[in-house]
Amino acid sequence: MDLNYSPEDRAFRDKARRWLEANIPREDLKTLAERKAWHRKLYEAGYVGTLWPTEYGGWGATAMQQAIVQDEMARIQAPPAINGLGIGFIGPTIIVHGTEAQKQRYLKKMLTAEEIWCQLYSEPNAGSDLAGLKTRAEDAGDHFVVNGQKIWTSSGPIADWGILLARTDPQVAKHKGISCVLLNMRQPGVEVRPLKQITGHSLFSEVFMTNARAEKSDLIGRLDEGWAIAQTTLGYERGANSLGRVTRYAIAFNQLVKATRQLRRHGRPLIEDPSVRARMGKLYAELEVQRYAGLRVLSALNKGESPGAASSITKLSYTEFEKRYYETALEILGPWGQVMTAREEFEEIDTASGEAGTWATAFLWARAGTIYSGSSEIQKNIIGERVLGLPKEVRADRLKA
Amino acid sequence: MDFSFTPDQSLLRSSARAFLDEHCKPATVRLLWDDPRGESEAMWKEMAQLGWLGLGLPEEHGGSGLGMVETALLLEELGRAAYPGPYWPTMLVGHAIAEAGSDAQQKRWLGAIAGGGARAALALLDADLDWSPPAAVTRAERTADGWQLTGTKRYVAWPHVADVLLVPARAPEGLSLFLVDPSASGLTSSPVQSMDPGLRLAHLTLDRMPVRPDETLGRVGSAGPLLLRLLRRGALGAAAEMLGAARRCLDMAVGYAKIREQFGQPIGSFQAIRHKCAEMLLETENSHAAVYYAAWALDAGADDAGTAASIAKSYVGDASRKVCGEAIQVHGGIGFTWEYDLHMYFKRAKGLEAQYGDADYHRELILGAVAS
Repeated sequence: MDLNYSPEDRAFRDKARRWLEANIPREDLKTLAERKAWHRKLYEAGYVGTLWPTEYGGWGATAMQQAIVQDEMARIQAPPAINGLGIGFIGPTIIVHGTEAQKQRYLKKMLTAEEIWCQLYSEPNAGSDLAGLKTRAEDAGDHFVVNGQKIWTSSGPIADWGILLARTDPQVAKHKGISCVLLNMRQPGVEVRPLKQITGHSLFSEVFMTNARAEKSDLIGRLDEGWAIAQTTLGYERGANSLGRVTRYAIAFNQLVKATRQLRRHGRPLIEDPSVRARMGKLYAELEVQRYAGLRVLSALNKGESPGAASSITKLSYTEFEKRYYETALEILGPWGQVMTAREEFEEIDTASGEAGTWATAFLWARAGTIYSGSSEIQKNIIGERVLGLPKEVRADRLKA
Repeated sequence: MDFSFTPDQSLLRSSARAFLDEHCKPATVRLLWDDPRGESEAMWKEMAQLGWLGLGLPEEHGGSGLGMVETALLLEELGRAAYPGPYWPTMLVGHAIAEAGSDAQQKRWLGAIAGGGARAALALLDADLDWSPPAAVTRAERTADGWQLTGTKRYVAWPHVADVLLVPARAPEGLSLFLVDPSASGLTSSPVQSMDPGLRLAHLTLDRMPVRPDETLGRVGSAGPLLLRLLRRGALGAAAEMLGAARRCLDMAVGYAKIREQFGQPIGSFQAIRHKCAEMLLETENSHAAVYYAAWALDAGADDAGTAASIAKSYVGDASRKVCGEAIQVHGGIGFTWEYDLHMYFKRAKGLEAQYGDADYHRELILGAVAS
């Protein structure tokens, strides 16, 4: 056991910190063009695509160094890169399962955010039971004709491309007739309607596909074998960033400390109330435990070990923690914690969306984490079956099949 | 950065488990529960032979000079076995003597501890039940030929088998430490029965107990920092033991959920049970991260070592109580019987929660450090 950072990683961190301090945008990034420009700058400095192989335009660095970049960005509260789904999950899927032509066509433009990507997986009636999806992709010679509806699509309105799961064989068992294909979002058959979330923001959309066209040359892997590919995509999505997330929690904690010094109840600052102190001590302990657990995962990743199903533990752990974290914070802050619009200094906290908001928005955002990318209940099923080896449940759809 | 164990550390764990599986079976633990002394002399001798009693002590005194990571690994295995005995208090007092003792004290005690010839206890809690070292109210007064101690010490673990007792007391110069002979006059001990019969506790009354001048440990009046470090080391060791208890309960619950059938199926196939087991694994793995991060931090002299120990104690206390308790729930009625072994580990975890500083005390330390 040695939890010291290696000299190379320390040097990498110092360099990243200096670069970020010198280059962080002085003004809020308002337009997509401004955000793309910042993304491009990060990419050219080596801080986007850090983990990607150099042959596909990445920087070939280690999982640890990727985590360090995210950590330093969180520390300085830099605006995030864009195209996170593409770079974090869709690109790696293409690297593993795509053809050489697909890699040449899509990867570099994804990294540089010339093309923005979204994921077209969930449907109104296929959430946790994703394999029950109904969107059809019918063979039309050199292309597929796609009809159906997708939902919870992040970056929908700005996306140029999507990775789509659609049914190509309705006659076989539901996991078997699904294919994975890339879909051009900029075509008349694709309509994107933003959905308003409980925070009031619209980061997700509904996507309607009506006789949309997907090229056969854009099929990822083999026909009808898309389900396995979806599993790898989800696998990348779980257990990725660890240090940066905890650093954001820690920044919010410092703001909570500041707020509890300024807010008064019963004639004294909140932070002098023993019940507040006990809760805050517990909160900080839990926050640090998330960091230790993150370091453990990172150390395994860095040695080339794949966390596999165990990454479900990480996802379950931090998303459930995040709910408790903001619940407790709002409990401590009282009526003031519910304010959605105040702009006092210590209210600007980095929410789960990576954007600044109030305590109330962070509290609301925390509800998303235990639903997206496999709900907590699905994670517990995965942990139970694949990590603990508990027997599979008897399911009505398996009895039928 | 490497969060995994070295081959030597893994070997220590596997050999400890093999030894305890053979020599500290649940049946053995039950016999010791009914034994007036509560621990096994034979097992203690074997632990000495295995090098466990000198694990963290300096090599010149017969120890192995290993760190807190190795110590935590061993304590985790001891917790997993619900081992009853004064291992951890003895190691802590040995550590305090190695850190602050005079040459004569080191010669007198360290070799004896490492060799299995001496056991120790430490009396950290006074009558007012305040874990904070500066809150000690037991008095140390100078006499013509040394000191005399007066006060009450509560919930002291294993004093009845100890050859030496570490006692914090307040001298006119300030907080001080004394290494006293538990059989000396002026000390009376009254046992209290803990929920965990593998953890023997007593209240000690010190009534003008005479102490020789050479029985002070470290500088008189400046024991505060040493005592806080010792308390936190103790807390971290307790967290490792609680982790072992949790790991054992998790294994038992998962094993049982695979074979116990109701409604024609193994109960582990029901989400109500499976989700519980998944949550138990999550708490156990987070506890692992907390314990070994803190152990590494202590060995490496990291800035956050003290806070990390407090985090481990408070977090693992909650987590292990939950994991062991839920294991009983997964088992149902059988888990509530005396005959079934689960309660051994449940009680070990719960008993240690109230030792070496409870969660409230450690949370206050944590907040004090990060929001000062």
